[in-house]
Amino acid sequence: MEYTLTTIAPIVLLPFLAFVINSFIVKKFTNLAVGISCAAILGSFVYAVRVFSDFVFGHFSSGAYIHKTFNWFNLNAGQHEFAIDMGIYIDNMTAIMLLMVTATASLIHIFSTYYMKDDPRYGRFFVYMSLFTAAMLGLVLSDNLLSVFFFWELMGFCSYSLIGFYYEKEGAGNASMKAFMTTRVGDVFLFFGILSIWAVVGNVTFVDIYAAIANDQFSNVYALGIPLATLSGLMIFLGTIGKSAQFPLQVWLPDAMWGPTPCSALIHAATMVAAGVYLSLRAFPLLEVGGLLPIVAYIGGITALGAATIALIQTDIKAVLAYSTISQLGYMVLGIGVGAYNPAFMHLITHAVFKACLFLAAGSVIHSLHDHHTHAHVQEMPRMGGLRKKMPFTFLAMLLCTFAIAGIPFFSGFVSKDRILGDALLMAMENKIFIVPVIMGFAGAFLTAFYMFRMMFLTFFGEPRDKELYEHTHKEKLSWNRNVPLLLLALFTFGAWYAGSATGQSLVKLSSARYEWFKTLVVAPDVIQFGTYERQALGFDDSLAGERDFETSKYDPTYGLSEEAAHHIHHVHHIGAIASIIIAFFGVFLAYLMYIKKALNPSWWVQTLSGWYRALQNKYYFDDLYIKGLIKKILLPLNNLLAKFDMGFYDRYAIDGWTTVNKVFFTASRWFDNKVVDGVGVDGTGASVRFFNVVLRTLQSGKIQFYILMIVFVLAGYIWTLKI
Amino acid sequence: MFNEVLFLLSGLLTVFGALAVVFTKNLMHACVYLLASLFGVAGLYLTLGADFLAAAQIVVYAGGVVVLMLFAVMLTGGTVKDAGRYAMLKVPSMGNAKTFSIAALGVLVALSMTTKIILGIGRSYDASKELPAFTSTVESIGTLLVTDHVLAFEISSVLLLGALVGAVVISRPRKS
Amino acid sequence: MISLTSYLFISLLLFLCGLTVMIARKNIIAMLLGTELILNSAALNFAAYTRFVNNNLDGHIVSLFIIIIAAAEAAVGLAIVIRFFQIKESIHIDDATQLQS
Repeated sequence: MEYTLTTIAPIVLLPFLAFVINSFIVKKFTNLAVGISCAAILGSFVYAVRVFSDFVFGHFSSGAYIHKTFNWFNLNAGQHEFAIDMGIYIDNMTAIMLLMVTATASLIHIFSTYYMKDDPRYGRFFVYMSLFTAAMLGLVLSDNLLSVFFFWELMGFCSYSLIGFYYEKEGAGNASMKAFMTTRVGDVFLFFGILSIWAVVGNVTFVDIYAAIANDQFSNVYALGIPLATLSGLMIFLGTIGKSAQFPLQVWLPDAMWGPTPCSALIHAATMVAAGVYLSLRAFPLLEVGGLLPIVAYIGGITALGAATIALIQTDIKAVLAYSTISQLGYMVLGIGVGAYNPAFMHLITHAVFKACLFLAAGSVIHSLHDHHTHAHVQEMPRMGGLRKKMPFTFLAMLLCTFAIAGIPFFSGFVSKDRILGDALLMAMENKIFIVPVIMGFAGAFLTAFYMFRMMFLTFFGEPRDKELYEHTHKEKLSWNRNVPLLLLALFTFGAWYAGSATGQSLVKLSSARYEWFKTLVVAPDVIQFGTYERQALGFDDSLAGERDFETSKYDPTYGLSEEAAHHIHHVHHIGAIASIIIAFFGVFLAYLMYIKKALNPSWWVQTLSGWYRALQNKYYFDDLYIKGLIKKILLPLNNLLAKFDMGFYDRYAIDGWTTVNKVFFTASRWFDNKVVDGVGVDGTGASVRFFNVVLRTLQSGKIQFYILMIVFVLAGYIWTLKI
Repeated sequence: MFNEVLFLLSGLLTVFGALAVVFTKNLMHACVYLLASLFGVAGLYLTLGADFLAAAQIVVYAGGVVVLMLFAVMLTGGTVKDAGRYAMLKVPSMGNAKTFSIAALGVLVALSMTTKIILGIGRSYDASKELPAFTSTVESIGTLLVTDHVLAFEISSVLLLGALVGAVVISRPRKS
Repeated sequence: MISLTSYLFISLLLFLCGLTVMIARKNIIAMLLGTELILNSAALNFAAYTRFVNNNLDGHIVSLFIIIIAAAEAAVGLAIVIRFFQIKESIHIDDATQLQS
């Protein structure tokens, strides 16, 4: 396949064009705008399928990539060189990510035509969604950190707009501000990280960074007393912490549920929060060189466990899903931290699919539960129950996805999460420092199974707790834009799609190991052997098409390790798999006992652990810490101080002081204007005219003799001077 | 010999007549002195061998123009009352320093003009050429008038007609 | 010795006298006398030159025309003076200043 502007640019440009067109026509031609948005993302999906099929069905090996750049601008002047190139970087990871993003985005767009149909700002939602998808796809295709940053910020803006979509509600406005500001904290550090890398490497293309790492350009460079690789890696990871809602910047994601549910599905489940993990994956060699992996693993583990505990007590169905998102993102970061590059990426993909489906299904549930008294949709689980009879398709989709997230075997979530935990176990065996994250991971898995099934049981099983609500709920019919996206997404929660074996651990082989495609196609970049492919210019023709001799993937799940090492890995993974399965089933069983059989009483637990319960209700006091502690106690006084300086000193003296100077100048110029310009110039001209008038008037005395005299004088003058 | 004497007499007559026109108080006397000056000019023409011209000068100028002037003088009441020295009315700017200075300037201008011209001509004029003899010019002038200068001749006749009619029209008494 | 210069000298004197009369006298008719003097000086000039330099009769022709024109001009000028007198009852030049700005 040729990689030219015409084959790659539409992936980003189609949604962007839809955004531009829609922002003009959305008021008048709402349905047309919606159609354009959906068509644009479906078009991107088609192009993404092309790229995916070229890479994956072309069996390219993990080291194959396509890197094309074009010069954005350069300010070269003499010896100083400063050029910024933008470009695309496509390898297996990009191809898979593109497919996932476009596919989920398309299905979410289609679902939104059902969900947002009655909203007065129906069209505007799609305007923002198109912009967002364009930004996300741009980020996935980016070849350098700067363009990643651009699209990162753009997505942050779209997230802000979409969270605050229902701007009449004060909570939505606050939540959108909170989301933007919290991610901003991470973004500032990310930008510093980019700049620090620039200082060492010269530009921020991934290929060049990997080459710089391979050339040891990062060793012996210190900044603020710590090695530069550590510093820049840490700052880039801080960007991930902000964007992917890791501890300690996780406070914004639960509040992001104020936005419409499809937006939550796309942005806060599948794509934007995944962008943080994607960035860390791309910057993985830097994190490795900087020795930051333990920190990453700890943060991932804390997030995974902490969010899971908070999710235990949530009563809003979307809140449960929000905290579960934070928790699963923690798993991905944990995976990166233990060096499980491929499992983390796989979890990113599988999580995107099943979390999007969960959110959409939650949206379907919420939409059907219409409270006739308050004219609002019901999101609180205590008012639900026994809905599986009313909404069979939604129930089916949600059930499949819950199986996936809980880690039930044969499902995609189990494959990826189990691989992460297996690799974590491996790492913990080598390095004792990773033991705590492993424990946190397994504990989090148990809690995940528990609270997800708690959610299912409370919503779909048992007796309806609000009879009136239950009566008024309509029975669900199979419709193209409500259930079909859900079922399609749920279809891809089966593990067989992603791994040749149903469990990913070759415990139960479905087909030959050759088709462990996901596991083998994406590996951590090997910086030593990197940069072997020619960097081309991004244009309208692809000179190397058909000549690229990428290595074919060998589909070797052991990555070429020795027999003994591979056996050891298998062994540990088996232990991990069995542990995960036991934990998952135990969690499901506990939830079943508590909510179906009612054998255990949740309120007993609440009372005994009341302190912890209160902490969970206050989300471990993070909001209080940030708002009351940080903002009110530190930032606000600082702000007041600065304001006082600004207004008291700077405004008074520097700005207002100018008025005194101005008064002097004004007086001087007024004097000049009046005396010189007016007096001499204007009045003077008149006076001189009058003077000369008086003088020259005598020339026209009317006296003939005077005229004759003048004639004689002039004649004399002629004779004298001109010698006539 | 005759030529020189005639020249001298005519020259003196001309110049003194002109000077007298400048300095007399009486307008009538001025007209008569002009007449004398014109006679002198006619004599000068004779010394130049322009016999027809001299005759025309006397007939037209002396006989016609000056008589006309005299008529006009009589028709308009003649002299001006209160004529001071040099037949000029006493005006406030007489005897003034400004007036004298402008007059001096005028004299200076005139003198410089005079010397410049005269000297220039004197320098460039070659006086040793032999002049042709005097001949009668009447026939030649008549021939020239109707051959080389016929246009000017005809126009001047129209001019005279115009002057005639114009003079009558302008001075016709109005029925106001 | 009579030469061109002497005639020019006389004509210059005539001119200056005529100019003086025109400038200095306050009677309009006197001014016309001065005009006649000036015209005569010009005619004398032409006649002198044509005798001493050109040796043809063009100068005589011009002098003739000067005489003709002077006559016409005197006629019309005097008619104007008479008209002026009929209106203003005076022939003082300083009364003719209506073109004064």
